[in-house]
Amino acid sequence: MSSAAARDGELSDALPDISGLRVVRRFPWERWLTASVIVALLALIVRAFATGQIAWSVVGRFLVAPQILSGILNTIVMAVLAMAIGIVLGVIVAIMRMSPNPVLRTTAVGYAWLFRGLPVILQLLLWFNLALIFPTVTIPGIYSGRMVDVMTPFLSALLGLGINQGAYTSEVVRAGLISVDAGQYEAAKSIGMTGLVALKRIILPQAMKVVIPPLGNEFIGMIKLTSLASVVQYSEVLYSASSIYYANNRVIELLTVAGIWYLVVVTVLTPLQMLLERYFARGVAVHR
Amino acid sequence: MTKSLRSTLAIAGLVLFATPLQAGQLPDAIQKSGTLHLSINATYPPLDFKDPDTNKIVGFDVDLADALVAKLGLKIEWTDVPFAQLIPALTTGRTDFIWSGISDTPARQETMDFVDYLKTGPQFYTLTSSAYEKPEDLCGKKVGSIRSTQYPDLMRAWSAQHCEGAGRPAMDVVTGENSPDVRTQLKQGRIDGAVQGSETIPYISKQEGGVFKMLGSPIAPFYYGIAFRKEDKAFRDLIADTLEGLIKDGTYKKILDKWELSTIGVTTLTINTQPR
Amino acid sequence: MDRPIVAVRGVEKSFGTFRALKGVSLDVHAGEVVCIIGASGSGKTTLLRCINQLVAIDRGAIWLDGELAGFRRSGDKLYPLTEQEIARQRLKTAMVFQRFNLFPHMTALENIIEGPVQVLKRKRSEVIEEARALLERVGLAAKADAYPASLSGGQQQRIAIARALAMQPMLILFDEPTSALDPELVGEVLAVMKELARSGMTMLVVTHELGFAREVADRVIFMDHGGIVESGPADSVLSRPQEARTRAFLSAVLT
Repeated sequence: MSSAAARDGELSDALPDISGLRVVRRFPWERWLTASVIVALLALIVRAFATGQIAWSVVGRFLVAPQILSGILNTIVMAVLAMAIGIVLGVIVAIMRMSPNPVLRTTAVGYAWLFRGLPVILQLLLWFNLALIFPTVTIPGIYSGRMVDVMTPFLSALLGLGINQGAYTSEVVRAGLISVDAGQYEAAKSIGMTGLVALKRIILPQAMKVVIPPLGNEFIGMIKLTSLASVVQYSEVLYSASSIYYANNRVIELLTVAGIWYLVVVTVLTPLQMLLERYFARGVAVHR
Repeated sequence: MTKSLRSTLAIAGLVLFATPLQAGQLPDAIQKSGTLHLSINATYPPLDFKDPDTNKIVGFDVDLADALVAKLGLKIEWTDVPFAQLIPALTTGRTDFIWSGISDTPARQETMDFVDYLKTGPQFYTLTSSAYEKPEDLCGKKVGSIRSTQYPDLMRAWSAQHCEGAGRPAMDVVTGENSPDVRTQLKQGRIDGAVQGSETIPYISKQEGGVFKMLGSPIAPFYYGIAFRKEDKAFRDLIADTLEGLIKDGTYKKILDKWELSTIGVTTLTINTQPR
Repeated sequence: MDRPIVAVRGVEKSFGTFRALKGVSLDVHAGEVVCIIGASGSGKTTLLRCINQLVAIDRGAIWLDGELAGFRRSGDKLYPLTEQEIARQRLKTAMVFQRFNLFPHMTALENIIEGPVQVLKRKRSEVIEEARALLERVGLAAKADAYPASLSGGQQQRIAIARALAMQPMLILFDEPTSALDPELVGEVLAVMKELARSGMTMLVVTHELGFAREVADRVIFMDHGGIVESGPADSVLSRPQEARTRAFLSAVLT
C-alpha cells in the first residue's frame, strides 16, 4: 500500500481477516477444582454439626421460647437506642473537634481516646459499679437518690454501649465533615452564616451522605456488641439463652439458638444497609 | 526375720499386690501419661480460686485432690475455665472428671455420676453492718445470687414458703455473674442480702475483716460431688475408694480444718447421694 | 468625595513564608464596576477573600461602608470581632466563586432563598417570590426546582449570582467567575454580569476576560506579585498601559 493511500485514511490489506472465526471456550479447571474443595469442606462441617453432640430437638424447642423472643427484642431495642446515643454524641464530639476553642478540641480528642481505649466490657462494668465511687446521684433541685437505684442493668448497658459508640462515630463523622468541599464552607460564610448554622444547614447534610453508610455497618456490629451487656445482668438474648442452659445444661443447644437469632437479625439488616448505601450514593455520583 | 523387715516386706507385698488392681481401674490414657487433666472454675474460695500473690490455683478442692492423686501416684494438670464450661468439658473429654465445687443434683445425675465429698447448702448472708437478723427479715428485699447456679431457684422456692407463705412480701431475687459480682452489689447496696454456699462465707468474710454475717442456717442441703461420665464407673469407684481412705486416715479432716470447713465434711461416702 | 463602599489601606497578608499581599490600597465607590487582572499568584483572589473576611489580614485595614472590617476600635486599641459580628459584616459583600459552590443538596430555588430565610430571617413566602424574580432575571425561571448536579456550569454560575443578589448586598465580589466554564457557556454568564453592571450594582471582579473588562468596567487594576502595579480607567489601562509589566502581561494574554 502506498504511503499516499495511508495518508488518505485507507486501511492496510496486509493483515488476515478473522471476523468469521469462532471463539473456543477453555474448560475452567481451576475454578472447578477450588469449588470442589470448598464444597467438600462445607459438607464435612455440616456433617459434623448434624451428627455431633447437639440435640437439635432442644434447639427447635427453645428457638421461639418466650424468654428468647423477649431477649432478642431487648437486643434490638438496646442496639437501636445505644446507636442513637452514639450518633448524637458522635456528631457533637466531631463538631467540638473542629471548634476554634482549644478546650473543646482537647476534650473531644480526650473523649475519643478514653472510650476507644477501654474495652467495652470494662466500660460496662464500670458504669454498673459506679456506686463504688459515687454512691449517690444528686441533681440540685430535681433529684437525689442512690446510684444503685439509678444505674440499672438497662441504663448501665445503654450508657456503656452508647458512649463507647459515640467515640467511634465521632471519628466517622469527622471524616465526613472533612470530606465536604471547603468551598461549601466558604459559600455558607459568604451569605452570612456563622459556623454552627453553616454546619447545621450546609455541611452536615452533605457529610451525612458519606457518614451514614459506614454507620449502617456499625449498627450491625452493635447488634452483636449488646451480648456483652449480659455481664451487667441485662436480659438480652445471650443472657436469656445462658440462663436457660444454666438450668438445663444444654449449653451448645442454647448457644445455637442465640446464634441463629443473631444471624437472622443481621441477615435482615444487611440488605437494608446496602439499600441505605445505595440511596446515599445517588447524590454523590458524578453527573457531569 | 526382724520385726521391721517383716513390716517392710508386708507393706511391699501390699503395695505390689494392691497396685495391679488399682492400675486396672484407671483409664489407659491416664495410666500411660501418669497425669490427670482437670478443668476447674477457680473463682470460688475457699474451694477453688487463684492465689493473688502467686496466681496458682489453690483451695480445698485442690488440696484434697492433690492428696488423693498422691495415693495413686499421679499428677494433676489444672485448667481454669468458666463455670458454664465445666460440664461441656466433661462431655467432650477435655476434663477427666469435674472437681470444682459442683453440686450433685437429680437433673445432673441423668448424665453424670457424683462422688459426694462435701455436705453444704445455700446460705443467706448480708453485711455485718446491716440490721437484718434472720432470713425472714429479707422478705420483700432484694437478695442476690450467682446466675449460673441452682441458688436463684432455691431462693424463689424458699421465698414462696417463708415469705409469701407467711403473709410477707416476696423476696426480689436478683442475679449476678459470679461471686465477686454479687458481693460488690451487696457492698454498694444494690442488694440487701445474698445467697451462696455456706462453705464460702466464713472464709470470704475472714479475708475482708468480718464484713459479712450469715443469717439462719442453709436453706436446702446438698452435696458437692466429683462428677464422672456415666461410662467411667470403674474410674469413679477407684476415686471413691481412695477418698474413703483419706477420710479414714484423717487427711480429709486436716484439710477441712485448714479451710474453715470443719462443719460441712461428710462422714460416710455417698455416690449420687446414695450410700455405697 | 463620598465614602467608598470598600476602602482597602495597606493590606498585607502572608501564608507561611509566601507573601501574597504586600501592601495593597484601593477604593471602590457605589455603582462602580472594578476589574482586577493579573497572573496567578498575583494576590487578586487573596485580596477578594480579605475583603469578605474569609481570610484574616496581617496588617492594614479594610473599611466596609465606613465600618472597620474584623475589628472594633477603642481608642488606640483594636479588639477582634466575634464570629457572629464578622458574619454580620459579610452581609454587605456577597461573593460569586470560580467553582460556583452551590449547595448540592438543595434545588436552585432553595439555594437562593437559603440566605435570606436562615440568616436574614425574612418571611419565606416573600423571599420565594423575590427568588423567582431573580431566576427570571438570570434567565433560569424554568430551573427553579432543578438540583445543581443536573445543571450546566453556566447555569450553576447564574444561579450563584442570583443567590448573591438575594442577599441584597452593597457589593458583589466575583472571583474568576468564568474561569471554570466551558468556552461556549462563558457568554451567558457574562451577559448576566453585564446586565447587573448596567443596573448599577457595585462589582469587584477578578477576571481574565479582558473583553468584558473593556466593555463593562469603569476601572481596571493590574496586580502582580502581591501589589497593585497599575490602576485607572478601563480603556487607558487596557489600550495604553503605562507600566512595562502591564504591557508584558497584556501582550502575553492577548496573543
